[in-house]
Amino acid sequence: MSPERLAIAIDTGGTFTDCVYVSNGRLGLLKVPSTPHEPSVSVLQAIWEVLRRESVQGAWEIRIGTTVGTNALLERRGARVALLTTAGFEDVLEIGRQDRPRLYDWMVTRPQPLVERRLRLGVRERVDARGRVLVGLQAREVERLVRLLKARKPEAVAVCLVFSFLLPRHEQRLGQSLRREGFPVCLSHEIVPEFREYERTATTVANAYLLPLWKKYLGRILQQASQWGDVRVQVMQSNGGIVDASMAADEPVRSVLSGPAGGVLGARAVARLAGLRRLITLDMGGTSTDVAVVEDEPEMTTEARVADIPLAVPMLQIHSVGAGGGSIARLDAGGALRVGPESAGADPGPLCYGRGERPAVTDAHLVLGHLPPDGLLGGSFPLDADRTWKGLERARGPLKSVEDFAVGILRVADATMEKAIRVMTVERGRDPRDYTLVAFGGAGGLHACWLAASLRIPRVLIPVYPGALSALGILSADVVRDLSWTVRRPVKTLSQARAELEPVFRRLEREGLRQMRIQGWPADAVSLQRLVDMRYVGQGYELTVDASGDFVAAFHRAHRQRYSYADPAWPTEVVNVRVRCMGQAPRLQLPRRSAQRGTLEDARLDRRRVIFPGYGREPRWTPFYDRERLQAGWRIPGPAVIVEYSATTLLPPNWQAHVDRYGNLLLERVQA
Amino acid sequence: MKPDPVELEIFKSLFHSVAEEMGAALRRTAFSPNIKERRDYSCAVFSGDGEVLAMGDHMPVHLGSMPLSVSAAIAELDLGPGDIAILNDPYRGGTHLPDITLVMPVFAGQRTPLFYVASRAHHADVGGMQPGSMSLAREIYQEGIRIGPLHLVRRGRLVQEVVELILSNVRTPREREGDLAAQLAACRTGERRLGEMVTRYGVAQTRRYQQFLLAYSEAMMRDALRRLPAGRFRAEDVLDDDGLGSGPLRLKVTLELRDGRATVDFTGTAPQCAGNVNAVFAITYSAVFYVFRCLLGEEVPATAGLMRPIRVLAPAGSLVNAEPPAAVAGGNVETSQRIVDVLLRALAQALPDHVPAASQGTMNNLTLGGRNPLRNNEPFVYYETIAGGMGARPGLDGLNGIHTHMTNSLNTPVEVLEHELPVRVRRYGLRRGSGGAGRWRGGDGIVREIELLAEMQMGLLAERRRFRPYGLAGGQPGAPGRNWVTIAGRREPLPAKCSRLLPPGAVLTIETPGGGGWGKPVRKGPGRRQD
Repeated sequence: MSPERLAIAIDTGGTFTDCVYVSNGRLGLLKVPSTPHEPSVSVLQAIWEVLRRESVQGAWEIRIGTTVGTNALLERRGARVALLTTAGFEDVLEIGRQDRPRLYDWMVTRPQPLVERRLRLGVRERVDARGRVLVGLQAREVERLVRLLKARKPEAVAVCLVFSFLLPRHEQRLGQSLRREGFPVCLSHEIVPEFREYERTATTVANAYLLPLWKKYLGRILQQASQWGDVRVQVMQSNGGIVDASMAADEPVRSVLSGPAGGVLGARAVARLAGLRRLITLDMGGTSTDVAVVEDEPEMTTEARVADIPLAVPMLQIHSVGAGGGSIARLDAGGALRVGPESAGADPGPLCYGRGERPAVTDAHLVLGHLPPDGLLGGSFPLDADRTWKGLERARGPLKSVEDFAVGILRVADATMEKAIRVMTVERGRDPRDYTLVAFGGAGGLHACWLAASLRIPRVLIPVYPGALSALGILSADVVRDLSWTVRRPVKTLSQARAELEPVFRRLEREGLRQMRIQGWPADAVSLQRLVDMRYVGQGYELTVDASGDFVAAFHRAHRQRYSYADPAWPTEVVNVRVRCMGQAPRLQLPRRSAQRGTLEDARLDRRRVIFPGYGREPRWTPFYDRERLQAGWRIPGPAVIVEYSATTLLPPNWQAHVDRYGNLLLERVQA
Repeated sequence: MKPDPVELEIFKSLFHSVAEEMGAALRRTAFSPNIKERRDYSCAVFSGDGEVLAMGDHMPVHLGSMPLSVSAAIAELDLGPGDIAILNDPYRGGTHLPDITLVMPVFAGQRTPLFYVASRAHHADVGGMQPGSMSLAREIYQEGIRIGPLHLVRRGRLVQEVVELILSNVRTPREREGDLAAQLAACRTGERRLGEMVTRYGVAQTRRYQQFLLAYSEAMMRDALRRLPAGRFRAEDVLDDDGLGSGPLRLKVTLELRDGRATVDFTGTAPQCAGNVNAVFAITYSAVFYVFRCLLGEEVPATAGLMRPIRVLAPAGSLVNAEPPAAVAGGNVETSQRIVDVLLRALAQALPDHVPAASQGTMNNLTLGGRNPLRNNEPFVYYETIAGGMGARPGLDGLNGIHTHMTNSLNTPVEVLEHELPVRVRRYGLRRGSGGAGRWRGGDGIVREIELLAEMQMGLLAERRRFRPYGLAGGQPGAPGRNWVTIAGRREPLPAKCSRLLPPGAVLTIETPGGGGWGKPVRKGPGRRQD
């Protein structure tokens, strides 16, 4: 992406499809309604709209983030898949790890496996734990399976054989024969060449399950786009990188969580402009809140679950909790005030939307005076204050007043979010005092200062363009390919381990560079990163460390940081080898806000009585400001409420906001 | 003074997150597959009086028994700041010897402890007659090393003599050492977090809300009990045998429900037996705790308050309240499941439309031990439990191949097992048709077939091989489990509780029981299926 070229980033949400584009170095934004029945339609509409506004010369690019995969998994709308697996292990997909998701619930259920029993077929073959063939795959066996599949007519086939990451030959042979017959095929060693058969099988099956739908979706966009000239279509991946659509087409499972990944990257891109590199991102929406940590790069995981299915591909580590604007508050039989995880959603919504019957977090904000009086979305969505008051009065139980009830609801919701931030920081050996909290989503700015105060996070950033942050992140994403291979080798000495791993690194790098070349990145423009997953011999979880230097020492350090102990005398082993290939996108440039004359008073909309939780029960007269009219360099003293189209920020007393040159708000506590 | 609903909820969430955080530290740093892959551990936070305030969502069988460890440590030791106690003696606060518990007082600057924290983990070997310490013993002395409450850490320093004594009595000392380090890390995590909490909320407030939280749980349980019909409900069930030739062994319960209280009386249960399926009281208490906790919503914290309205009577010297020197390894894993079965059977009379039919009712404990040719002939011990069929529920089929009731440990992936040990898994699948027929069908059990690639000592401790998991409301019972070994083409049945030295090439096959069905089958043959 070079700045003079046109680049369009699109993020498809449930209600709106957000689009951010750069044309001749200028940033543009637009929104079109989403088309959930046929998601490619709103994407194409958004592109069409940009092309109408901007002239295109030469090559240009489209970058897409989508929830097509997530939704298909959640709603079980994928393909009819067949699974070929080593004979004797046909039920691994159903048994999973043999545990139940909830301990104290006799009525517990678990999701149906994505492949029905009749389509899970055993293959006569076996490879052992050292990659040696015990039972060869016979031609007759391949023929038998092909015949069976032709009769049962699945829409896609997943192949996952035991220990295929050590010896992929059998999977490859099955793949060839099945592809020749026209089946879309996913081979486990290509999707996740790593150990743990259940997780690998589940991931490969999910990929096959999404494949037909995904190809159709991308196909529609590619076909239309090709009529628009020299355009490169790229797709956002859950690992925070972007790849060419041609490459993404075979691996839908790697794009499943691209939406939330975009949000984290957007927060990172904006924070970077403000000179901030260590971030806790907090995306608070209607039903849930997502928390992630960025230290230059976002934290990654290969243990994510989506719709209760483990997806063992690299994804941004995002911790989600059931607390959002729509979370319902109630007093339980023991007299405790509970908030969430049940949510009123958008329909019926909280009391203040006019239909809901049970108080939610947004209602608490409304009665405390935190929301603009003319309603949300610039006044186009009015709120019913009277109804809300009455509803809270009815439900408040022993709490002394409606205000006390409302403050309580917010404190309980904050406690849930605080817990989520702790999971991502304190539980992983990170001190929140070293970070900036980046809050976004409709309600992030309403809670950020309280969370920062209780976790002793020194500052809060409310990024500019909160409604389009995810699209902005997609626009700023680097081209990334992650490759991995399970090796499981004990480390005797560093140099011996280095020598043993070198050929594996080389092979992965060669393959990575090949894939980058296809996407238009010559080898000299690609940065390569070598990583290893390590553990003490005998441990069951790995830590990923940089392999460019003394990775054994790096592992001991990482172990001590994360788990507070380490012993350099204990033997270690390298479990997985990873290579990350990256083609760096040019740094995002945001338009600067002029520092025009005028005073804060010019941006003031109103002055109203507001109760700030933790600052006494008396309402304070508090100015409401229009964020659009804030000028670079201004300082806003708390208490204040800062209003914009799709979000509200609450600035408590003893806090101060600073408007930076891009329009970001930096909130800090004022020394008393 | 009455609790504030908001503070109450916040403290509830705080205590629970401390327990969860301890668990995360333990799991991630543990060494043995049993803890790291299977998650056979628990962490909990206790009041200064030793009453449980929060437990991570870990192992149900530890639910009611952790508090007894803490009371034993308090009673027998003078624990000062920076001290940590260790224990595993079932007759002094433990459950069975492989479960080692660490207890740490948290003073937070006070003269007496404001809290205790505890971490428990199932260690794959603690010595004794056979690798895995789950042998067919007749006395506890044969089951492994007994650790009464002792100082493992004194004023922050590890008591090396204690560590050495323990490590010299177990088969895989390095692994034990690593696991104990992980348990210590868990306790210290808990101490640190509670210290921060006290700094933030103050001592008085923290103390008050400990008590409020206990009262809260009690109120929740009373509320649930009041919804049950009053009456006296009796039920019986059996254990197949004690592994030494005696059986069946009868379990009997009388459940009395009245005015928001429950009495669970096991009078009439068989006396303790010669084998190892004796349960100490802590196990029985845990099983009862589990059943009643299931009557509440998922989010209610597992505090001691939940058990205040419930009385558990278990005759001393019986199968459900064993006395020394009875062997007890199987009481924890097998008898605990049967206690749940018999109590559910009684409860089903009070709540016919809410109680599931019997699940597999065993954990199918398999232990392998020997020398590992893949690792320079180092000694190894491997322990696993195998899932089975879940009992059908009114309105839902039972789930297939899943752990039920008192355990929820994960399986060890084939690609981990074969990499680390000289074994080959030949089959791991569902045992079709083993679930009991019914309007709602019981879940199917599992078939697991393992080939041994070196000579090794195999121990099996399983149940429901003769007496099948019962159906309810006219549902059929599930199929009983089966086990056999094939050596040089000859198939030889194995008793459910046995220990054998097996040659390389031997193939071990275990079929776990199916769950019972619920309701009369609509038609003949298998009822509705989920897939």
